[in-house]
Amino acid sequence: MGTVLTNCGLIVSGSKGYAGTNLPLWRLTISSRVCCRQFSGAWMSNSADFSKDRAPPVASLALERIVRSPAALVENLPIGIYTCDRDGLLVQFNRRAAALWGLTPVTGDERFRFCGAFKSFERDGAQIAADRSPMAQVLAGGQPIRDREMMIETEDGNRLTILANVDPLFDEHGNLVGGVNCFQDISELVNMRRDMREGRRLGRRVMEALPAALYTTDAEGKLLYFNKAAEQLWGFKPTLGEQYWCGSWKIFWPDGTFVPHDQCPMAVALKEKRALIGPEAVAERPDGTRVPFMPHPTPIFDSSGTMIGAVNMLIDLTEQKRANAQQRGLIDELNHRVKNTLATIQALAAQTMRGAKNEGAKDFENRLLTLSRVHDQLSRHSWEWADFAIIAQQTFAPLRGSANSNAHLVGPSVPLSPKTALALAMVLRELAANAEKYGALSTPAGSLTLTWHVADSRLLLDWREQGGPSVGKPRKRGFGTRLLERSIAEELRGVARIDYAAAGVHCTMEIPLPE
Amino acid sequence: MTEIRSGKRFLDGLCVLVVEDEAIISFLLEDMLGELGAADVRHAGNVRTALAFLEAHTPDLAVLDVNLGGERVYPVAERLEAKGVTFVFTTGYGKGGIDARWSARPVVQKPFNVEAMTQALRALLPAR
Repeated sequence: MGTVLTNCGLIVSGSKGYAGTNLPLWRLTISSRVCCRQFSGAWMSNSADFSKDRAPPVASLALERIVRSPAALVENLPIGIYTCDRDGLLVQFNRRAAALWGLTPVTGDERFRFCGAFKSFERDGAQIAADRSPMAQVLAGGQPIRDREMMIETEDGNRLTILANVDPLFDEHGNLVGGVNCFQDISELVNMRRDMREGRRLGRRVMEALPAALYTTDAEGKLLYFNKAAEQLWGFKPTLGEQYWCGSWKIFWPDGTFVPHDQCPMAVALKEKRALIGPEAVAERPDGTRVPFMPHPTPIFDSSGTMIGAVNMLIDLTEQKRANAQQRGLIDELNHRVKNTLATIQALAAQTMRGAKNEGAKDFENRLLTLSRVHDQLSRHSWEWADFAIIAQQTFAPLRGSANSNAHLVGPSVPLSPKTALALAMVLRELAANAEKYGALSTPAGSLTLTWHVADSRLLLDWREQGGPSVGKPRKRGFGTRLLERSIAEELRGVARIDYAAAGVHCTMEIPLPE
Repeated sequence: MTEIRSGKRFLDGLCVLVVEDEAIISFLLEDMLGELGAADVRHAGNVRTALAFLEAHTPDLAVLDVNLGGERVYPVAERLEAKGVTFVFTTGYGKGGIDARWSARPVVQKPFNVEAMTQALRALLPAR
C-alpha cells in the first residue's frame, strides 16, 4: 500500500494499486484527517472521522456515495491530479487537471507522455521538454518532487503558474509502477507575491529617495533600517540590530542637556505607544558637529493592534535655523533703521522747536515716543503681535510722581495684532495725556483705573478716572477724541464710549480680536 | 521741550564725550548736555576719532551710540572702562542689541527724550 502525502495536505492511501483501465480507479480511503495549510502558516485541522467503518452521523445519500467512492471525491477536488504509468502515459486525471491544461487528453495517448499540458515552462520562461518534466524525473529516479513551481501554457497561449508535487507509486513488492502529480494554480499567489515584493522594493526605494532622514525599529526599539539621509544626519553608519532607539551618535536637548538613547523621543513613542512630533533635539556626530532636528517617531501596529515597530522621520533644522536667524537679523536691522529714523525725526523736532515752550512740541515728542515703543514691542515678536498689558504699562511709564503711582492697571496679557496694538497705544496715550493735564492724574488726590479682559473674542477696556478736578465735555473735539472715534470705531471696527462725567472721565472700549 | 528746571544742572563743569554717528542726534545730545550744565561736550562720529580723543583726554562721562554706521562702539567702551570713566549706551536695537559683555551697563532706548536721558545720566552720577 502506497501512502501519498500531497502538498494540499490530503492523505490518500491506495488500497489495491491500479488495474490499468480507463475507469476511475481510485481505491482510496480518506484518512480521518484533512489538513489545510493556511497562508499565515498556521495549521487548521478537521478531525471529523469519515472512516468507512463508521458512517457519518448525518449524511445524505449523495454525500455518502462520494465518501464511499473516493474517486468521485478526487474528481471533485479543487486541485489537479493525474497519474501516469511506468512509461509516463496518462492513466487518469481529474476534472480540475483538464481545466488547468485547457484540454481533455485521451489517456494512453503518446502525445501526452508525462503531462497533459500543451506546453510547460520554467519560471524563467525556458521551455521544459516532456522527458525533462517533473513526472519524467520521478518515474526515472523514484524520488518525489516537492513544491516545484513552473508554468504551463494552454493551446490558446494562456499561461498559468502551477505548484506541482509528484510522487512515485509502488506496488506491494516495492516496484515502481507509476507516478501521481498533484498540481494547483498559484498564478494569483505568485502575482500577489510579486506585487508585495515590488511594493516592498518600492517602499524601500521611496524611503531611500526621500530627502528626510528615516529609520525603522522593531517593537523593542532595535534599529532595522535607515536611509541615506539618516546616515548623513547622524554622520555615521550605525550597526543594524545592535543600536537601539535611534542611530544618532549622541543626542542632546537644545539647552545642551545630554539625552540617553533610551530617553530619546523614539524611545518615548515606543514606550507610550503613540506618535510624537518633537520635541526638538540636537544630534552630535562622531566628528563633534551638531545638527538640530525635529523627530517624528510613529509606532506601527499590525491589523490586530499589536505594536510591531516604529518609524521615525528626522527633519534637519539647520537650514531652517539659519534662515530664521537671517530673518531675525533682517528684522532687527529694519527695526534699527526705522528706530534711527524716528530718533532723527525726534531730534530734528527737538532742534526745530528749541525754546518753543509750547504744549504742541511736548505732545509731538510724546506721540513719537509712543509710536516708537509699540514698534519695539512688535519687533520683539517679528511684527506678528504685541502684548496689550505691556503697551498699557508703557503708556504710563513716562509719567512721573503721583501721575504714575495713581494709575492702576488690572488685566491679563492679551496678544494684539500690529494694527490694533498701534491704534490702542496711540489712543491710550492721548487719554493718559489728558488725564495728566486736566483729569484725575493732574492732582495727587486723583486716581485712574484701567481694567481689561477678553470675552467672546473681544478686548473689553474700562478707563475710569476718579478724585480729580471736575471735568466737562471739551468745547472742541481734540486730537485724542478724534483718534478714539476714528481708530477704534472705523479702523478696528470696535466700539468706544467716552463720558465726561463730573466725577471723572469714564471711557469704555470694545475691540474685536482675531480668532 | 529741552526745558531744564532750575537746580537741575547736575553736569555742572563736567566734560562729556558723545559718540554718535547721526549728526542731528548728536546736536540734540550736545544741547541737552549743555543745558544740564556740562562745560565741555566733545563729539566723535566713529570709533577711531573717539579713541584718538581718549589718547589725550579723560572725560567725566560718555554717551555711546552702539551702532556707528555698522561699526560697534565697544572698543571705546573698553577704553573708557580701563580709564574708569562711566557711560551710558544709546541704541535703537533694544536691550537685546547689546553684547552680553556690556549687559550690566545702562541703556537708553532711541528715540529718547530729555527726561529719559536725564534719568539715565543722573543714575550714573548718584553723588550729584
